[in-house]
Amino acid sequence: MIKKVLLSLTIASSSVFAHTAIMSCFDNGDGSITCEGGFSDGSSASGVKFRIEQNGKTIFESKMSEDSEVTFKKPAGKYSAVFDAGEGHAVHIKGSDITE
Amino acid sequence: MIKQSGILLAGKKTVLSTVTAISIMSTSAFAHFQMLYTPNTALKKGQTIELKHLFTHPFADEHTMDMAGVEEFYVINKEKKTDLKSTLKTITFKGNHNSGKAYESTYKARKMGDHVFILQPVPYYEANEDAYIQQITKMVVNVAGTPTDWDAELGLKAEIVPLTKPYAIWEHGSFTGIVKSNGKVVPYAEIEVEYLNRDVNMKSNSMEKTKVEAPQDAFVTMTIKANKDGEFTFSIPKAGFWGFCALGVGSDKEYKGKELSQDAVIWVEAKSMK
Repeated sequence: MIKKVLLSLTIASSSVFAHTAIMSCFDNGDGSITCEGGFSDGSSASGVKFRIEQNGKTIFESKMSEDSEVTFKKPAGKYSAVFDAGEGHAVHIKGSDITE
Repeated sequence: MIKQSGILLAGKKTVLSTVTAISIMSTSAFAHFQMLYTPNTALKKGQTIELKHLFTHPFADEHTMDMAGVEEFYVINKEKKTDLKSTLKTITFKGNHNSGKAYESTYKARKMGDHVFILQPVPYYEANEDAYIQQITKMVVNVAGTPTDWDAELGLKAEIVPLTKPYAIWEHGSFTGIVKSNGKVVPYAEIEVEYLNRDVNMKSNSMEKTKVEAPQDAFVTMTIKANKDGEFTFSIPKAGFWGFCALGVGSDKEYKGKELSQDAVIWVEAKSMK
């Protein structure tokens, strides 16, 4: 029984490890930003948590759409877009790195 | 004695005709390649990219052909096809020996994943062979590393379906593809392989200096064959762009009453490990 559990844990963790969370954001040029999430194996990010952080606080929370996208109003000042696919799988992109 | 010199003379004739045949062959030995070029096929994030569309000899660059026009130019991302023909602008591209009619375009590669570009030019009349050449050309740009469409089989009349991501190859890695025509494999297809032997100057629409000298003509256009399942693998010896052209595998065999070689081209890019 222990062996079986160990085996399934190993399999589960190796498959998680193989999938890197990826996000890409761009400025739509109309005051809004679109962020798109995904995984290195091509699987969908639909329903994965997304948030905007500013001064250490969460100012916007959402989930990735069916198309693995989130569009939000561009915050004033410094901010970070966070694609949160679970522990060890969060991707942070600085607002200053998001261009048209 | 007389008989012997007669034989000798015949022998000389044979030598001469062989020399003539070789010189004729060598002019057409360097392969024509439709290029669908952008300087970086593995983008870290979404951005607007510039593309150049020219018909040349990528290794030797001894002649830039005038493109006869474009029948189709489109891109596929996440199974969605977008027509890009209206984005093409005519340019004159300057090779090391002459200039030719070519095209340029820009594309907003914003969405993550693979952007599979297909260019189907109007058949080009090759006077040396009194025949037409049409190279249906594929090139894949990836944004941010998520794989989406790179391995899609598009059912083209002439197509190389990659089994290796064409944008994610290390120098000294390899590329594997399957030669197909209308979705069916082409066994033992003849494939020409060439290295893009110069950087493309995107601003002045010209070729830069030659990088590599070939030790012999067989290294300029390397000819390989697919196996019985239409599959081939080529080890990539140097970082940069490599073109693969499966000759005459397309289903169209005639254009304007003349022979047509409908070829499948794919471009891959290898990155150096530095």
